[in-house]
Amino acid sequence: MVLRLAGRRTELSLLAPVVLLVPLGVVVTHIAQTGLFETGPLAVAIAFAGLVLGAHFVLAWAGHLGDEMLLPAVAGLGAVGIVMLNRLPQDLAGNPAFDLGMVGTQLVWFGVGLAAMVLVAVGVRDDGFLRHYKYSWGLLGAALLVLTFLFGTEINDARLWIVIGPFSVQPSEAIKVMLVIFLAGYLAENRLVLAGASLRIGPLQLPPLPYLAPMLVVFAAVMLVVVVSRDLGTALLFFGVFLTMLFVSTGRRSYVLFGAILFVAGSAVAYLLFPHVAARIDTWLDPWADPNGAGYQTVQAIYAFARGGVFGEGLGQGLPVVNGNLPIPAVETDMIFAAIGEELGMLGAVAVLGLVAVVMTRGFRIAALAGDDFSTMLATGLVAGLVLQSLIIVGGNLKVVPLTGITLPFISYGGSSLLASFVVVGLLLSISHRSIPRPAAGDEDDR
Amino acid sequence: MIVRHLPRLGTAVLGGFGVLVVALSIWQVVLAAPLEARPDNPALIAAHRSQPRGTIFDAQGSVLASTAVVDGIARRTYADPASTHVIGYASLRYGTSGIEQAWDELLVGLRDPNPLQDIVNDVLQRPPQPHDLVLTIDQRLQHFAASLLGANVGAVVALDPTTGAVLAMTSSPTFDASLISGDPAAAEEPWLALQGDPNAPLVDRARNGIYVPGSIMKVLTAAAALDAGAITPDTTFPTQPEEEVNGMVVDGFVINEHDLAGVTPGLWDLSEAMQVSSNIYFAHVGLALGQRGFMSGAEDFGFCDVMGIGPGGHGLGVSASSVTPLTDAGCEDFVDDAELASAAFGQARVTVTPTQMALVAATIANGGVMMDPFVVRQVLSADPAGGAAQVVASYDSPGRRSVVSRQTADEVRTVMVDAVHGPLGAPYAGSANVALYGISGVQTAGKTGTAERGNDLPPHSWFIGFAAAQPGATPRIAIAVIVEGAGPGSVTAAPIGGQVMAEWLRLTGS
Repeated sequence: MVLRLAGRRTELSLLAPVVLLVPLGVVVTHIAQTGLFETGPLAVAIAFAGLVLGAHFVLAWAGHLGDEMLLPAVAGLGAVGIVMLNRLPQDLAGNPAFDLGMVGTQLVWFGVGLAAMVLVAVGVRDDGFLRHYKYSWGLLGAALLVLTFLFGTEINDARLWIVIGPFSVQPSEAIKVMLVIFLAGYLAENRLVLAGASLRIGPLQLPPLPYLAPMLVVFAAVMLVVVVSRDLGTALLFFGVFLTMLFVSTGRRSYVLFGAILFVAGSAVAYLLFPHVAARIDTWLDPWADPNGAGYQTVQAIYAFARGGVFGEGLGQGLPVVNGNLPIPAVETDMIFAAIGEELGMLGAVAVLGLVAVVMTRGFRIAALAGDDFSTMLATGLVAGLVLQSLIIVGGNLKVVPLTGITLPFISYGGSSLLASFVVVGLLLSISHRSIPRPAAGDEDDR
Repeated sequence: MIVRHLPRLGTAVLGGFGVLVVALSIWQVVLAAPLEARPDNPALIAAHRSQPRGTIFDAQGSVLASTAVVDGIARRTYADPASTHVIGYASLRYGTSGIEQAWDELLVGLRDPNPLQDIVNDVLQRPPQPHDLVLTIDQRLQHFAASLLGANVGAVVALDPTTGAVLAMTSSPTFDASLISGDPAAAEEPWLALQGDPNAPLVDRARNGIYVPGSIMKVLTAAAALDAGAITPDTTFPTQPEEEVNGMVVDGFVINEHDLAGVTPGLWDLSEAMQVSSNIYFAHVGLALGQRGFMSGAEDFGFCDVMGIGPGGHGLGVSASSVTPLTDAGCEDFVDDAELASAAFGQARVTVTPTQMALVAATIANGGVMMDPFVVRQVLSADPAGGAAQVVASYDSPGRRSVVSRQTADEVRTVMVDAVHGPLGAPYAGSANVALYGISGVQTAGKTGTAERGNDLPPHSWFIGFAAAQPGATPRIAIAVIVEGAGPGSVTAAPIGGQVMAEWLRLTGS
């Protein structure tokens, strides 16, 4: 037992600074907001440390051999998120059924997410139920998508939510994972059969039909997302994940190019046909055309970044709440990166991007070391989902791409996002664990 | 093996990270300062929201703008719509404009006029101390000018030629800025109405209205040509009488005289030509001066660049006036002499602001020296101990610049007096004579303009002038008046100019 707990030392030593960031952050915030040094806010830090270290010790106890830098990286992102959510007004969000405030609710979801991560990391010893039922997963994802279209509730002008009792669930988070499972299975199975073959129509080199067919299906689904849910970001994310996986399975840049052209052309058609899509794009191109209306969120985010400068305003010292209105709508979810830019400055913002880059490199490493094509494709798709989602929403905050209603994984407030993201980490850890050559049975106790 | 594609993918995605870091540095470093200064920046708005804001007084101590904090929200009220454009608005919702914008940091107290005090306040973390402003504007004159404009669309700018102080500056149509500066919730409806109004009441026509000048430009043309030695007051052009009838051909383009209303053309000198406002004569003056000479003469008066009404380097912005279309490097070159000849009598592509033309009149009045225009006379700070307000900054005449020689200015002044009092001029600018409005013993200098707009639109009515204009007298007021689409300058603008000047002479005891 004791020997087991001593495992995963790298992970533990990397988690130590992450866990210490939170008490520092909440105490500094409290001093900035009240002028008092008190120990009360430390409860949040202790809860966070307990959850993260708890997950670590369960993994160590279970003898998990998976990647040891992934959890510290996502915990680092989570720590930034907890500190920022603790700094914001607590009545912004949170489930009235629990009465825990925003950061308390988020911590509950952190616990649920970490538990799910550990369960998946330790429990998924065999991915047969994923690879063999790829079409079922794909259909399930499609069904969820249709359900969202039919029964979804519009929040912030995007139909991405399903409300069940006191909970509102964002199915797109789960759909993303199901899409990756389906594509990993499909592409891993078909790639060898189809290596080299391609379809030529005049000068245009198209993917062969078995690639082209799912490409067009995914493309159609993505366009539906644009038109029905009014959410360019989710569409871009789905299609980006698909193109990423297509590229890794074939190595053909021309397919990616073809897909990208298809997406741009489709978006252009949507722009011309659907006024709400056109409005989104116009707002993106010139938010100052209507700074108090459609462009408000983007304009306020840009002001927040400008206020932050290089070093930031300091935790708790950003723009105060004005008459109960936050300067940036959705600052606890979609726009949290703007708050980071304001209070932690460009240094903090770049550090967050750096952590996302660490997640990416560890994820790709796991993909590269995975034992078989399906696992490689799965790991690639899962990590691409996390990283592209981060890039798209950060890009939206920075007016690099149109602003959309997706979360910044591990940082934004939101249970669906946290749970799905931690399940993804669990799957990555599980793939990583299975790719480590097994020591002979007798050796294990000598380690 | 599919694994080999992963590094290429990683590199591509890292490119995405790079783009985001570039975007971060653009917003957080490169553009941070200009963004912070934008009036709709919520940091500025938040500082304003609950904070008392300095009071704005006119030169006589009347309150023009004041703030009351009701339920934690600062509400700004304004005394008179006549001053709306120059003072601007301080809306919690729509930001600031005018003086409220240009002197915002002082009014809120984010900054102290004394930089040392700024540092002390910062170290001691003192809350901002709002400052009051005393303007050069005289509300009595301001209100009088606005009431003369009435329902007309136009602007009046009146300056003290000897100091540069803005005495009145009003733009019509106006609106009650209190409506958008009070309760933010109630501000939207009037704001949208203002934005949708086809007469553009939000535009300050005095500073940012850009108009064809017509004949008032002849004052500048005469001054530039006299100063460069291209003409004297006695200069005549032998072909001019014949061209008055048959037209003058320049570069194949025919220039025709305006309707002389029965006056028989003669061999006119500068005074006579100014009195009847001869386009032909001034086309010749422009050609004698040359493209380069005319351009640099206009630039000396401030054309081809934006201006500010101070004191200090910043202040109320004034749009650039120009003799040809503006480029980044100033006015572009004339296309040909035909354009120069038309520009010399204020047509072609010349555009001016009323403020610019008031400055031209003030410069002639002040012997060729242009006094930097300014609108804030004093900055006051309340004694922290609750005592009386203290003057922390005071301005009498913040700056000056010699534009033309005293001799040139005197010669132009003489012909502008002739334009009002002379037998040929009286039918045009005679209606500006302050004697008509109860002021005796004072001569008036002036020039009317009728700015043709083409397309059968009625012309804009212009007047510039000053008083007192007799030799040896101290000029007390210089003025520019425009009334949009109101026909000849003699009918609408000149009487307004005369009445405002007379009112000022009366108010200041002539």
